[in-house]
Amino acid sequence: MEFRIVTKALKYIVIGVFALWTLIPLAWIVSLAFKSYAEWRVSYFVPKNPTTDNFVLLFKPEELLGRYGVMGATAIIEPATKPLINSLIVTAATTFLAVFIGFFTAYGASRYRAPGPFTLFFTLLTRMLPPAIFITPIMVYYSNLGLLDTYFGLVFLYSAVTVTYAIWILKGFIDAVPVEWEEAAMLEGATPIKVVFKVVLPLVRPGLVVAGLFIFLLTWSELLFALVLTNISAVTLPVHISKYVGAVGQLFGPQAALALIGSIIPVAIGYAIQKHLVTGFTFGMVRG
Amino acid sequence: MSREMARSVKLLATLPLNILLNAILIIPFAIMIYLAFLKWSPAMGIDWWEAAFVGVANFVRALGDARFVNALTNTVIYTVSTVSIEFLLGLLLAYLMLGEFTGKKAVLSLIIYPLMLPPVIVASVFYLMFQPYGPVNNVFLRAVLGDDALRITWFLNPRLAFTALIIADIWQWTPFIFLILYSALSAVPRRLVEAAQVLGASSFTIFWRIRLPLIKPLIIVAVVLRALEAFKMFDYAYLMTGGGPGVSTETISLYIYRVSVLYTDISYAAAMSLVVLVMLALVIRLFIWYFFERVR
Repeated sequence: MEFRIVTKALKYIVIGVFALWTLIPLAWIVSLAFKSYAEWRVSYFVPKNPTTDNFVLLFKPEELLGRYGVMGATAIIEPATKPLINSLIVTAATTFLAVFIGFFTAYGASRYRAPGPFTLFFTLLTRMLPPAIFITPIMVYYSNLGLLDTYFGLVFLYSAVTVTYAIWILKGFIDAVPVEWEEAAMLEGATPIKVVFKVVLPLVRPGLVVAGLFIFLLTWSELLFALVLTNISAVTLPVHISKYVGAVGQLFGPQAALALIGSIIPVAIGYAIQKHLVTGFTFGMVRG
Repeated sequence: MSREMARSVKLLATLPLNILLNAILIIPFAIMIYLAFLKWSPAMGIDWWEAAFVGVANFVRALGDARFVNALTNTVIYTVSTVSIEFLLGLLLAYLMLGEFTGKKAVLSLIIYPLMLPPVIVASVFYLMFQPYGPVNNVFLRAVLGDDALRITWFLNPRLAFTALIIADIWQWTPFIFLILYSALSAVPRRLVEAAQVLGASSFTIFWRIRLPLIKPLIIVAVVLRALEAFKMFDYAYLMTGGGPGVSTETISLYIYRVSVLYTDISYAAAMSLVVLVMLALVIRLFIWYFFERVR
């Protein structure tokens, strides 16, 4: 009996330690984001004079000069407004395009065994290979086409590498729609295209949402492609965040504030699709 | 529905995907294979299709390039160490979380939140955590080592820098393995477990002899997917250490990025990409064969 209590206590301790280990970095970032300059380099977690200065500095970096003098002058970074808007536009457009294409492909895959094993293997491959492999040719290709530093360039590439998720998630949902319903609609005289839009599409709406949110999550986080393909006008949030790391003058406070801002949307989305995270991460390979 | 109609629907349904894949991935892919046999850099002032053909020179160079080998070694060490630690931790946690207890839901949603964070942000967070006056030194290590802890500069020592990357990875991705194993373990039929209990098996035996063998395929999926992800690692190294000090934490992704973007040695980067591609394609092919095509 005593042994049992000990193991039970041990179990809670291990879970507790793990929860704490997960929580601490979050706590540190929240605390740093609200600390004033004087407290950036001290280690207590609760700021003595909480301030929202760091958030203001993100959007008005020119104020750094007035506030921190020379140190601020060497570290002036563009305002975060444009990267934030760029990220929203690129991510939303990618989500829409990838889900749209994924839906039709999934329909073909579910009903007609299209598009063939090679294409499906290829889409899987694009997810599994390191993005670094693709950057060299894409960079050359895009510079020839004039797609560097444009929204279109990013959206097309992101759609191509995330469409796998839409296909695999939506295929499961479409498989669950009885073919008989489609046949019934067709007997009533509906064209195949009408059947897809009026019968199948409304029935798999939850699947569209899950696939869309998952693709949003992935695209919002992408750094390497954006780093290579953007320069001035299409810079995304992850690229902007990377500029703060090791910035001359070490702007710890604004960096933490930016990390906090950049994580609000993905964490909210993550919790919205919590139930489907396993399916998403494993391309539907796990049927557990 | 007539057969022709079915065929046209099938064609129409996959047309958008085929256009996208061909325009954005397959054409550049073909260009990359061609580039790998050229000697070309934008700095040469000519277009790539005018560049001189050099045969396999780029591939020979890659095999003799100490920095390429170093980057590959770093990536493999990184992958093996992160995945094995994450697997053990994830499995332990999945086992402990199996039973019911109060507050389980809250603990679950806390544990999985790192998964949803962009890796850039995690890198940023751990960059701040590991600063000389950050909480790692100043709170945790200080309690053990005293004031000496304040002098530890994580990103200036090759081993510590590598450790910092591994810690960030473990923090973010242990929940990934945990989540897959936990859902798999919860799906093991209850009657099997109950039958074993009736026969007097201890809970540890049940776990080791019944639950674990049943979820073996999922363990392999989780580990392989995680290993492929770890092999890609770019964000942490780029942000936290910049591959440094020196090239001691440079991963293969970071090295290819630098050769193509910073040194603009495009044809060499293309050749290295192809070498890595062939290596990984073999692994992935084996994996897909094991999961989708093998007769069970």
